[in-house]
Amino acid sequence: MNEPGNKEQVAKQAKELFDDSVETLDAATLSRLNQGRHKALAELHKPAGVSRWGGWLPATAVAAAVLVTVLVMRGPDGVAVIEEMVTASDFEMLLEEDSLEMFEDLEFFALLDMVDLETNDDVG
Amino acid sequence: MNAAVGVFAVSCTREQSTGAGTLQREQQLNQFLAEVERRALRIAEIAVRDRDEALDLVQEAMIKLARNYADRPGDEWTPLFYRILQNGVRDWHRRQKVRNRVMVWFGRGTSSEDDYDVAANTPDPASRPPDVELQTHEAMQRLEASLHELPNRQREAFMLRTFEGLDVAGTAVAMGCSAGSVKTHYSRAVHALRDKLGDHWQ
Repeated sequence: MNEPGNKEQVAKQAKELFDDSVETLDAATLSRLNQGRHKALAELHKPAGVSRWGGWLPATAVAAAVLVTVLVMRGPDGVAVIEEMVTASDFEMLLEEDSLEMFEDLEFFALLDMVDLETNDDVG
Repeated sequence: MNAAVGVFAVSCTREQSTGAGTLQREQQLNQFLAEVERRALRIAEIAVRDRDEALDLVQEAMIKLARNYADRPGDEWTPLFYRILQNGVRDWHRRQKVRNRVMVWFGRGTSSEDDYDVAANTPDPASRPPDVELQTHEAMQRLEASLHELPNRQREAFMLRTFEGLDVAGTAVAMGCSAGSVKTHYSRAVHALRDKLGDHWQ
């Protein structure tokens, strides 16, 4: 190839290489292009408006799902129920080492409760 | 009775003419797409460096053209088609940027360019001597690499003007910019390519 000394020469050589790569596309690629073209032509037979509404359907479904989620998460009086769900302080309590020790002494705390009840009965 | 028959006949004639019109339009569009699809694929492939992605982009552009612009005059199809395709390529690049950012955030920073398999995307060899085939293949590789190093707008202008043969006005429509911008982008692209490829194209 000759060294491109000007703009036209660069464009000409690039065009020759490009055209060569287009002409030597493999059969599998050409087949997929053909399939794509027929899919596109099938659009001409679809009634106008179907594809437009079809495109909006997923967005509408997502919007409806978000609305339902918000309504469910709010109580009947408009107070956010989500605040009653697990909070950061709950996690802190669960992760404290003392809490685990407390689970081991459950029988002891149950005994304390019974003692308290008996004491109150005696007082009453 | 005669009036009813007359109305029916007019109705049938209208339907026939509408059907014939649709068929003719379909044939014209088919011819246009068949003529442009291979160049469009290579242009998209050079831009995104992935044949499968390029095939998807071209198919999407063909569908959008048929869906929205089939009624437009045939001479408007080329710039419109490339406008749709270039928008698709730009969206693809945006999505890749976001994807790469997310992958980096998760510690899996990968670039689509690293995944590009040049050998797998090389066109089938034509019936030419191996040395000529190799020379052509290497020259195309260098050209693609140089085009990929250009800023997007310069690459678009160069490919639409040179590869597709659009004039300045058609390229401006396809790129969604002014004719003056097209001239500037194209001129800069050619200068850059001459600097990059000048030593190799001998």
